[in-house]
Amino acid sequence: MRSVLVLLLSITPLLAAADDEHVMVSLLSEHSALVPGKTAWLALRLQHEPHWHTYWINPGDSGLPTKLAWQLPPGYSAGDVAWPAPQRIDVGELQNFGYEGDVLLPVPLEVPGEAKPDTTAHIVAQVKYLVCREECIPGKADLAIDLPVSSAAGAAAKWFEAARAELPQAAKWQGDASLRGDKIEVALHGADLPPISDAYVMDRKIVNYARPQISRAADAVILSFAKSDYFTVAPPQIDLLVRAGAHAWNVRVPFSSSP
Amino acid sequence: MKRVLFALLLTLVLAAPALAKVAVGQPAPDFTLTDSNGKSRSLSEFKGKIVVLEWNNPECPFVGKHYGSGNMQKQQGDATAAGVIWLTINSSATGKQGDIDGAAANAYIAKVGARQTAYLLDPTGQVGHLYGARTTPHMFVIDKAGVLRYMGGIDSIKSTDKDDIAKATQYIPQVLAELGAGKPVSVATAEPYGCGVKYGS
Repeated sequence: MRSVLVLLLSITPLLAAADDEHVMVSLLSEHSALVPGKTAWLALRLQHEPHWHTYWINPGDSGLPTKLAWQLPPGYSAGDVAWPAPQRIDVGELQNFGYEGDVLLPVPLEVPGEAKPDTTAHIVAQVKYLVCREECIPGKADLAIDLPVSSAAGAAAKWFEAARAELPQAAKWQGDASLRGDKIEVALHGADLPPISDAYVMDRKIVNYARPQISRAADAVILSFAKSDYFTVAPPQIDLLVRAGAHAWNVRVPFSSSP
Repeated sequence: MKRVLFALLLTLVLAAPALAKVAVGQPAPDFTLTDSNGKSRSLSEFKGKIVVLEWNNPECPFVGKHYGSGNMQKQQGDATAAGVIWLTINSSATGKQGDIDGAAANAYIAKVGARQTAYLLDPTGQVGHLYGARTTPHMFVIDKAGVLRYMGGIDSIKSTDKDDIAKATQYIPQVLAELGAGKPVSVATAEPYGCGVKYGS
């Protein structure tokens, strides 16, 4: 993320910002214009005070994920946040997943084909977040930007490309999850599996959030998680984020009903 | 290969779970704590009554949502009027956020108009750990036979917004109504949400 921060400081992005306690939030656009019928990328930037953090889509034992709601012109729609890899933030025995420092949460914006060039789109993001150190403070901000609609997207912000490159990659490994007693076991198969050091489950009520036991055998990595105290029924699949050092992948595995 | 894998698994350090497990359908473990008036209270003294446990930290914004709206006090009042015992437990460690002594707890109760049976002080966190309390609020309901019948969140919408209370399912009144009518508990667990309990490090 450091390279992204350096690039960010060197340009003046289109933005709207709010400075609440302990985190400054702002809304940025990758390009200077929106093109009809194309996906444009926006990003929520969170600049945390040292030692303060906000949360990943699964915050862990406590906390709340940052939430975005949108007010958009007719025909526009915003997709889900492309969550960067979080870090573990442990407060005592409680496990959380979140972000410190300077982080970008990219969001795709679908621009309708009927959008008229030489008009301006007024876009509002209503952000709700929980920023914590040991204590927690809820915050909200309405961030607005006006972007011109044009046949050409205009200049692309280099820092956006850098941020995109650091997002977790979609993994193509085969795998499956199963319930084994009081454990949830995820097996990943592939000849090219990286040296996986940690894994976080995105879904709630499946696993407890401590680091899984990780073992390797031939072309497989086995991740063994403690089952959640709130586990009721096995889902059809689970989504995980898998880390090997600084690199991260998103992987989805089906849940098999019998081990 | 199997032997190598087995040896590898043996050498992996299995971190002992720091928060104990209680489970719905199992007996709720007994405990003894001092209340805000300096009196020793035990779960076992309430055998034969339904008991609600509510984990509390006066400074947590999620607790503030449910007290600031009057939601918690109403649930406490309705329950205790029907003969249910409501125990509020504070497991903040000494020096951590939310840590209060008996006098401060009584001042808090008076200020917010709380209506629990007793406010219990757990600064060592031993009861919080015993029950696996991880957030404030975090709720448990124990039936007249001492069996745990509900554990988890106070309601179904995870937020700090008071406006969500009316839209959410409030689990405690629902559980208490079902127990009172001899019906099965329809929602026995729901994920708790809130600030982390401020255990000592």
